This record gives sequence, structure tokens and C-alpha cells, in this order.
Amino acid sequence: MKFTKKTGSATTASPGTARLSFLKEQSIKTVFFFTAFFAVTVVTFILLFLLRDGYPIVVQVGLPAFLLGIDWAPTAVVPLYGILPLIVGTLLVTIGAMVFAVPLSIGCAIYLSELASPRTKKILKPAVELLAGIPSVVYGFFGLIVLTNFIRVSFAIPTGETWLAASVLLGIMALPTIISVSEDAISSVPHEYKEGSLAIGATRWQTISRVLVPAALSGIAAAVILGIGRVVGETMAVLMVAGNAAIIPDPIWNILSPLRTLTATLGIEMGEVSVGSEHYSALFGITVVLLVITLIINLSAVAILRHLKEGRAHGPARKPLISSATKESLARFAEIIGIVLLLIFLLAAAPWWLAVLVLLVAGTWYFGRDRLTRNHIQTLAFGLVGLATVIVLAILVIILQDIVMHGLPALSWEFLTQPPKDLGRAGGIFPAIAGTLYLVMGAIAIALPLGVGAAIYLVEYTREGCITRLIRTGVDLLNGTPSIVFGLFGFAFIVLYLNVGVSLLAGQVTLALMVLPTVIRTTEESLKNIPQSLREGSLALGATRWQTISRVVLPPAVPGIVTGAILSIGRAAGETAPIMFTAVVFSSRFLPTSELQPVMALPYHLFILATNVPGASTNKYGTALVLLLLVIGFYSVAIFVRTHFQNKIRG
Amino acid sequence: MSENCIISTKNLNLWYHEKHALESVSMRIPKKKVTALIGPSGCGKSTLLRCFNRLNDLIDHVKITGEITLDSEDIQGPGTDVVTLRKKIGMVFQKPNPFPKSIYENVAYGPRVHGVRDKAELDKIVEQSLRHAAIWDEVKERLNDSALGLSGGQQQRLCIARTLAVEPEVILMDEPCSALDPIATAKIENLIERLKEDYTVIIVTHNMQQAARVSDYTGFMYLGKLIECGKTGQIFEHPKEELTENYITGRFG
Ligand SMILES: Nc1ncnc2c1ncn2[C@@H]1O[C@H](COP(=O)(O)OP(=O)(O)OP(=O)(O)O)[C@@H](O)[C@H]1O
Ligand SMILES: [Mg+2]
Repeated sequence: MKFTKKTGSATTASPGTARLSFLKEQSIKTVFFFTAFFAVTVVTFILLFLLRDGYPIVVQVGLPAFLLGIDWAPTAVVPLYGILPLIVGTLLVTIGAMVFAVPLSIGCAIYLSELASPRTKKILKPAVELLAGIPSVVYGFFGLIVLTNFIRVSFAIPTGETWLAASVLLGIMALPTIISVSEDAISSVPHEYKEGSLAIGATRWQTISRVLVPAALSGIAAAVILGIGRVVGETMAVLMVAGNAAIIPDPIWNILSPLRTLTATLGIEMGEVSVGSEHYSALFGITVVLLVITLIINLSAVAILRHLKEGRAHGPARKPLISSATKESLARFAEIIGIVLLLIFLLAAAPWWLAVLVLLVAGTWYFGRDRLTRNHIQTLAFGLVGLATVIVLAILVIILQDIVMHGLPALSWEFLTQPPKDLGRAGGIFPAIAGTLYLVMGAIAIALPLGVGAAIYLVEYTREGCITRLIRTGVDLLNGTPSIVFGLFGFAFIVLYLNVGVSLLAGQVTLALMVLPTVIRTTEESLKNIPQSLREGSLALGATRWQTISRVVLPPAVPGIVTGAILSIGRAAGETAPIMFTAVVFSSRFLPTSELQPVMALPYHLFILATNVPGASTNKYGTALVLLLLVIGFYSVAIFVRTHFQNKIRG
Repeated sequence: MSENCIISTKNLNLWYHEKHALESVSMRIPKKKVTALIGPSGCGKSTLLRCFNRLNDLIDHVKITGEITLDSEDIQGPGTDVVTLRKKIGMVFQKPNPFPKSIYENVAYGPRVHGVRDKAELDKIVEQSLRHAAIWDEVKERLNDSALGLSGGQQQRLCIARTLAVEPEVILMDEPCSALDPIATAKIENLIERLKEDYTVIIVTHNMQQAARVSDYTGFMYLGKLIECGKTGQIFEHPKEELTENYITGRFG
């Protein structure tokens, strides 16, 4: 064969076509750049619009009075706009949720990463993912019906809608985040540390508690911060169980007092406020405060995790984030603070039996510790870790069982195919199911091209630098933005400013913005998993960038992208806050005939049934079950696609 | 080998899944001597070493038959307390693996987990172990710095100090010098020389000269079998087996 003589259209190109293909490559790159930059644009827009609408209230009452005023009474004759009780409420709920969630999560994470057999793990991990998949309005519904009732009866108080209820519920919702991120952190501690410790003759528990967990501490901290972010940004669930009185609990540790968070205030009042009023502006002021808090929280978690990842890539020789000496003094400091707080709480607030019990346990531990052999301590510790895992599982089972048992009787052909009657007490939920499907399909149709484009730009077209860092930060910020903030932005920008009105379209766009970071992330992941050698192979044959991407890189990445898309759909289907003010009506007999009409949606329908319609018990549960099945259905498909193709790739 | 032996194996077999990694290995490790294990890559040296302190327990799907005794007591059965066993049999790994803690905490870790709480006593153990591992002078000013900031050779000696701090009877070393330069290697070889006054050392090495220099006894392994085992001088000068001779003289494969 004479390769030198072989000339064909594929190998030689006239200057004209070369110029053309260069232009094509450039324009493709430009398009991708804009999709990637979109995230930054959106964040900027959100901030601008919230500031624009929130600014007047600051001018009106002054920043200190707004932030530190202790009365929130926007509808009083002389309205008062002090948001301190709301900030304190958010803070208290978060602290309570973490007190509940952190020990359980870390126990469960230790069990998963160090004690569980591979088979148990295979069951437990999807269970935790399932917990993450339950929509927040379903949590709120469960909290409202079961949890508050339980608290009301056990403490013999008139209503169970309290700080305690909110903290427990939000703690449950933060569990999956904290568990999965800490589990990841513990599992990725280098194996050598474990072997080194065991080879010295440390017990498994000593190895876990003195080497593995300390080595994973930054990851665990990031997990907790992410959990805090989740709690602070949650709207629907907390709104349904916290009692929503805008007061600072008196005394401050009274966990049976109702309280109100920043997010709940938005959820409750945004629907009733007249546009452009002082009150309206105050709500946007709250949104800005909320956004700033969550952004700080999320960016710090992201920073820690990124630092860890880089540390791992550069090998263990890198110095840790904080030196071991500071770490120790920090730990001691935290310990002292914890003990002092506990003592104050016990002396001042707790029922006497709890105080006695805690003191007894602490005393036994303190004096008995030296008499226990380390094998006893190990047995005890493993018992506690196992207990934490069992509690997490039990919570999942209780929630699912309650909703399935009560929801099944409501399910019927009629329920699934008929419109609601009598404010949803009778009839079915067909328009809500259809509406939710319309919303999520529209949302993914918008988010998928933008997200995939952005990911392709980030992975394939750039090196890490200023621009990618800016874009990544934009994506991270978007990811950490609470869903209610998207709701308000959608309302202010799409519904009012662009004059689209409350409509299917406004809801789809708002949801699309919310899921965009998920799509970008998962696509990025799957693109990064494609070996570099494939790209080099293609480029070495003279293929252009875009040919390489479209024919070599993208096809094997499709399962990963699809997984991300389905996960996003599931997430969007369960969200209430973003569509509450942008897209939904409570009851409608008909399906929308255009993009500009409002729709019914399952989560919102459930929310209204649960909070505003007495006597709809069966249909409430039925709606909750359908929503749950829908969302879990999406998640299962995603997990199936993921594992199926993972196995295939591995061979 | 008629001297009193500390570890001995009889018909030891080990499978990873289907892979037969050790085939009826019978071996006696003499007390307070240095025994070297040599053999081509993948022949099962590390596997054998990790049988002695039961570190293979960490790996799923491992099946072991046969007998291993320490001071004539069985350590293979399910009744063995692996924690106590590992206190008696320390290990230094191929890649230095200090914990992400301070230098002091790394050495104090072992005594601490074995119940030493007294600060003065810990200080003493730390200093002694670091001295014994010939690294004290290099780190005494910076005991509270992170161990990850040390050089590879220093890290390895720190790991040896960490092992010495729990006063084991046997020290297993799996290619302890393979990541080190000649100077650091020489330091560790000197160290081994001194260690055998108090400890039994079993060392895996790919370096023939090293085996000849530091060891009293040598075992040659090939494809999961212990081909030959005896006094180092005899193995290197008059090997009984042709395989051994080929390997040692480099006429292999
Ligand atoms: N965890 C494991 N799972 C399956 N097979 C293993 C595992 N560890 C080792 N093996 C196999 O057992 C055999 C012996 O391995 P071992 O690590 O003991 O060899 P080695 O003599 O130490 O080699 P090297 O000199 O390269 O360190 C090898 O064929 C290896 O592939
Ligand atoms: Mg080896």
C-alpha cells in the first residue's frame, strides 16, 4: 500500500473549507461558553433582582432596625419589620436539627464505611438515598400529622407545632446529606493508616476513633456544613411543623415553643402580599439575608471539600488544613463549650429525670472508664454505632409505612384519572399529576441543553483558570441557593418583570434554574470519567475538537448524563417552593392548554390539602403516596441506569 | 535450624478467591535473628508476612489452611486475640505510612491505645523509641510538627519508632527501603543490625545485597512455595536448589 499517494476529500481540504471548519469550531466553542456562563448570569440576576426589590425596606427602616428589630408585625396598624426573631428562629431550628442529626449520621456513616459487610452495605446505601429522595412537602406532611401529634401527646401541650418538631424533622431531612458525605470522607482515608494502626495492635474501634475519624474530620465537617445548608434553606417542611409564631422562645431554650424561620416567613406571606408594598420589599430583604447566609455556608463546605480533593490528588504529603496542634486545642475547646452548654441546659431547662439520667450516664462513664477493658469499650461503641444505624432505618420505615398504609386505600383508577372535587376532599388528582409532569419535562428540556453545554465547556474546552473558577463558583452558588429563593426570583423576574404571569412556563423556567447545577455536575463527572487516551486517539487522527467530543467523548458519557437528568427530574417533581408563586393553582378541572396558563401540581396540592383543607384525610395520604411513588420512581430509574451502566463499563 | 524458633508455620495454604497464593509453606523463624524473605515479584512474600500478624483478615474472601504458631501457640484459629497478637508482632510497611498527626502523637499512639496515660511515661517512651530508631536528633526540635512534613526516609524511621514504642517481640518489614535513597537505606540497615539484639526481624527485600548484608537466615520463595530456607551464607554460596541459584545469580525467567 502506498499511503503517500492516497489523496481524498477526507484528508486534503482546500483553504476555504479549512477556514469554514475553523469558524464552525469557534462558533461551537462560543455557544458552549455562553451556556457555561449562564450560571454566573443567573446568580448575578438573582442577586440584582432581590437587591432591587429588597432595597426600599432598608432605606425605609434602616439596616440595623431591619436586622436587629425584635418585632415582626408587617400587617399591624403600625407595621414593624424587625427580622431578629426570624433569624433567631432559623438559628435555633438549625442547632436543634444538628444536635439530633449529627450523632446519628456520624454513627451511621461509621457503620456503613467500617463495619457493614458488603451485602449489608448494598441494602443500606439505597435506603439512605431513599431518605434523600422523599420530597420535603411529604416530610412536612408526615411531621404535621404524625410527629407534632406525638410531641403534643408526650409532652401534654396544646399543640405539637414547635421548635422541637421542626428540629427533629429537619434533622431527619439532613441525615442523608451528612451520612453520605461523611461516609465518603471516612472511606477515602488511605488504607495504609488503617493497616498501620491495626498492625500496632489497636482495636478496630481505637483505629476508627483515633485514626480514621480524625483523618476524615475535614470531610465530616463539610458534611455537617452541607447538612446545615440543607436545614437553613428548607421551607415547606419547617413551615408545616414549626408553629410559625414570630417570637424568640422564652426562655431561649424552651424547645416546646413555636418559632418561625426566615424561609417559612417567605412561604407564608409571599402569596398574600401586595406587590410593591413595604411588606413586599421586606420579604425580599429577608430573601437577601437568607441567600447571604446559605451562600456563606455552602461556599465554605465546597471550599473544604475541594481542598480535600486536591490534597488527595497530590498525595498524603500535603500539610493538613489545620495543624494537628490547633486541631487538638479546638477539639478541647469545643468539648468544654459542649459540656458547659449541656450543664446549663440540664440545670435550667430539662425535666429532672433527663438531667438525672444524663448525669448518671456521664458519671458512670467517667468513673467506670478505667475499669472497662478496651474490648468492652469497643463492644459498647459498636453497639451505639449500630443503634444509630437502626434508628436511621427505623425512621425511614416509619415514614414509608405511615404513608403507604394510609395512602393505599385512596388509590383507585378514579383517583388517578379524575379532577378533584369539593376542594380536593373528593375526586382525583389527575390534573396535579399531569401538571407536575408538564413542569418537570419543561424544566429538564430547558436545563439539559444548558447544563450539558456548560459541562462540555468546563471539561473539554478550557483549562482550569480564572474563567472556570468563576463559572464553578456560579454553579456552586446556584447549587446552594434555597429553593424558595428561586421561587421569589421567578416571581419577581419572570412573572412580574417579564410579565409572563403565573404560568406553566414561569414554573418550568424556575425549576430549570434550580436543577441546572445538578445537571452540570453529573455531566461533568461522566465526562471526566472518559479516559483521556480516547480523546488523544481521536485528535491524533486529525479529528477536530467538536468531532472528538460528539463522536468519541459524548456517546459513552450518555448514561451518566441521563442519570443526572432523571435525578434532576425527581428533585424537581417534589419541589413546592419554587412553583408556589410562579406556576400553580390549587384546584382546576382542566389541563392547561397553553404554556401561559397556570397548572396544578402534586406537591402544592398536598401542601394545601394538609394545611388548609380539613377533612381530606384519605386524599391527603393518597396524594402523598402518589407523589412519593413518582419521585422514588424517578430516583430508582436513575440508580438503575447508573449501576447497570457502571457494571457494563467495568465489564 | 535447630535454634529455638519463635514463629513457625506448617503446611500453610492461602487462597485469594481462586488464586492459590501460598502453597504448603512450612517455615521456622529463629528468635532474635534477622530472617530475609526473597523471591520474584508476586511470589507471596507480602502475603506470608501478613499471615504472621493476621493482617490478611482485612481482605475479603481470603481462605487459609494450615498452622501458624507464635511461641508454640496457635495464632491462626478463630480463638486468637488478634489485637494482642499484633501488639507482639509489629509491622513496618513498604510505603511509610505515618498517621496525619504530629510526630509525637505518631509514636505515642501505640502506647496510648495500649493504655498508657501518664504524660511523663509517654514522653519517655517517645524519646526512647525515636532514639532507638535513630531519628531523635533530627526531630527532637519539632515533635509537634506534622509527621507528613518529614522526608520519606525520616517517615520510615518514624514508622519504625512507632512500632518499637509498643515493644513487640517480632518486627515484620515489607520492603522497608524500596522507597528510599541509598543513604536512608544504609541508616535503616544499620538500625536493623542493632534491632536484632532485642527483636526478631523478618524482612522482605528485592535487594540481594541487602538480604546478604543484614540477614542471618534467608528464605527463597517462588510461585507461592517456599523453595529453600537456611543460613544466609549457605543460601547465597551453596544453594541446594537450582531455582534458588538461578534467582540469586540473576539467571532467571
Ligand atoms: N488482595 C488480593 N486479592 C487477590 N489477589 C492478591 C491480593 N493480594 C495479593 N494477591 C496475589 O497474590 C500473589 C502474591 O502476592 P504478594 O503481594 O504476596 O506478592 P509479593 O511476593 O509480596 O510481591 P512483590 O514483591 O511484588 O511485593 C500475587 O499473585 C498477587 O497477585
Ligand atoms: Mg509485596
